[in-house]
Amino acid sequence: MSLALTDDEARPVEARSASAAPRSAGSGPDRPRADRPRPGALRRVAARTPIWFLVPAAGLLGGLAIYPLIVLVRMSLSDVGPTNIIGEWPAVGVDNFVAAFGDAELWAAIWRTLVVAAVLLVSNFVLGFAAASVLSAGGRVTEAVLALLVFVWALPPIVSGSTWKFLLDDSGPINTAIAALGLPTVSWLSSPDLALYSVAAIIAWAALPFSILVIRGGLLAVSPELIEAAALDGAGFWRTQVRIVLPLIRPTLGILAILTVLYAFKSFDFFYVTTQGGPGTTTTTLPVLSYQLAFNDFQMSEGATVALIAMLAVAIFAVPYVRAVRREEAGS
Amino acid sequence: MPGPRTVRTIAAGAATALLLSGCAISSQSASTDEGTTLTFWSYYNGAQADWLAAQVDQFEADNPGVTIDIVKTVGDQQDQKLLASVATGSTPDLFINNIVVDYPTLVAGEVTADLTEYWEEYADATQYPEAAAWRTDGKVYNLLPFTNLIGLYYNADILAEVGIDGPPTTLDELTEDLAAVAADGRYKGLALSGAPTVEGAWLFAPQLLGVGVDYCTFEGAEVETAFARAETWAKAGSTPQATATWDQTDAWQQFATGEFAFGINGNWNLGNAGEADFEWGTAQYPAPVGGESIVYPGGEGFGIGSKSQHKDLAWSFIEQAVLSSDAGEAIFETAGSIPVRADVSELPVIQENLEVQPFVAAAHTAASWPNNENTASIQTALGKAISSVWSGQTSAAEASAAAIADIAAAIEDGGGTCS
Repeated sequence: MSLALTDDEARPVEARSASAAPRSAGSGPDRPRADRPRPGALRRVAARTPIWFLVPAAGLLGGLAIYPLIVLVRMSLSDVGPTNIIGEWPAVGVDNFVAAFGDAELWAAIWRTLVVAAVLLVSNFVLGFAAASVLSAGGRVTEAVLALLVFVWALPPIVSGSTWKFLLDDSGPINTAIAALGLPTVSWLSSPDLALYSVAAIIAWAALPFSILVIRGGLLAVSPELIEAAALDGAGFWRTQVRIVLPLIRPTLGILAILTVLYAFKSFDFFYVTTQGGPGTTTTTLPVLSYQLAFNDFQMSEGATVALIAMLAVAIFAVPYVRAVRREEAGS
Repeated sequence: MPGPRTVRTIAAGAATALLLSGCAISSQSASTDEGTTLTFWSYYNGAQADWLAAQVDQFEADNPGVTIDIVKTVGDQQDQKLLASVATGSTPDLFINNIVVDYPTLVAGEVTADLTEYWEEYADATQYPEAAAWRTDGKVYNLLPFTNLIGLYYNADILAEVGIDGPPTTLDELTEDLAAVAADGRYKGLALSGAPTVEGAWLFAPQLLGVGVDYCTFEGAEVETAFARAETWAKAGSTPQATATWDQTDAWQQFATGEFAFGINGNWNLGNAGEADFEWGTAQYPAPVGGESIVYPGGEGFGIGSKSQHKDLAWSFIEQAVLSSDAGEAIFETAGSIPVRADVSELPVIQENLEVQPFVAAAHTAASWPNNENTASIQTALGKAISSVWSGQTSAAEASAAAIADIAAAIEDGGGTCS
């Protein structure tokens, strides 16, 4: 199949139309023809066309995001359980929210979710920036590492989570290696003091490739002339990175921070695979609590309420960041 | 190369098909000139799945023109999907469910068809104990033709090396034996599931059932004593900290390593135990002092979907492939599940199997589950509480108080009914 245009195709559309349209008998060059749209109508059709292009996206957004969100809100304001999930949902106002905020388990879950977010932020920013700085230089090793990162990032959480559960088991390979060194073994996933940090570390491991790729993208956009100027002024590699590059990629880091917090607040699969919220309740974060309430206990309204609280918490973090980034972009 | 019109037509058709298909898994039965297809949602794995496949093959051979389409599902999500299928009017024709957890929910959610007429007209219904037909308001909705129970597995080699004469019959004896194993230092004590789920609750509940405390009477000094015993085992290292996250499969794998003196697990692992490279035996769940050995019965309920268009045919499958004596004998030999059908439980293949006898005995004294739509929450409350003790997250006193309060709240929230 050839992509080359013929002479006729290469001419402007209006020119082609004029030459190709058969002239009706008696029609003169100054008279408008009924078989051709007028220029004004053409412009209006063209002006409207982009709206139709938006219809599929708007339909998908409405059906898959907005409608479920409306159902979620309605469920959180109703009394829904297994007996009436198909029938009527009696409205209870904000009773579910009052009950949720009065439950110590919710506050404990919020705290655990914040801990996970903190671990992710530290990992994504410190390790992510360091790794991205190193990987911003080209070369075969960089390409190989980037390929490996994409592989890790693309791994299904059920697979990587199961692997980590095996590795971190009390009698798993990591503890076997530790014991071989004569050191005491560690209850990575079963210690109530350690389990949350262990799972958070697994999530951080899975999230790190994405942050490296994002930060690396920001670094590559920094003008080389600025780096050279800094070098001429005597700034070393890390001084340049911290004093010159970091401020320049602050918008990128802001977006990454939002995405990281979002990721922490929606992380469920690794907890599901490794600890199921245990031991006890020590790894029951907001999404885990929401799942347990809705799908283990069939307290649909309570589960929806916790999910909505998690969304609101994310919004509290996200809105100021988004506004700050917009201000910064507008200023620049 | 297809033209733009063709591409648009294909795209529109694909989008329509995607929208209409809706569910992630198939649930539609179908009748054509070539025959009828019934869907069966099953989360069976391994030997149980092999048994079901063999029963389906036999039924299809006996009933030309009928096809049973086994749709593989995820056990944890079966009840959620079944509830959703009612909303879309597409329940499967046949399904299994975790009867002890899901039954009240599935009945309340109108997932299950009323089987009363079928059951009353079933000629061999008298072969089954009353408890095999699960009823609500006098109507039968689920059938439990095979049961799974938990008991004590022991590593006879370790017991001999440590100097323990035989398996314990009481929890006090078990505590002494665990202390002896710990003092010996070469082996680990007890492998059992302590996950913060219904599994962890199922494994712990017999410590209370034997002294007359069930979910409906969950309070008093007996509760604190049982939690304190678990705390003693955990602090002594007889139950590893990882117990708090083990499900039953994890716990079995630990016992199968040969490093544990005891394991509490189900009869469905009898087949797997045959592959162990050490001498092993079974006993009933040790009884609390002053009480007897009582456990909650488990197993899969068989049901017909309320929206099925082929209920009569679905019942024929249950009658021929699930309730028959051949089916009972086959699942015992294939998967180790204990048939409750009288004529099958008296077969030599079961009566002469020494290892299965503790589980058969347990079936005769099994406790009754709470009759409350919140039964999942009730059991999970106990699972979370005991998991926190196995891990050391909370003390026995705190955990028992939390379990008492949470179970009472869940019962109340579920309408207040229990027994």
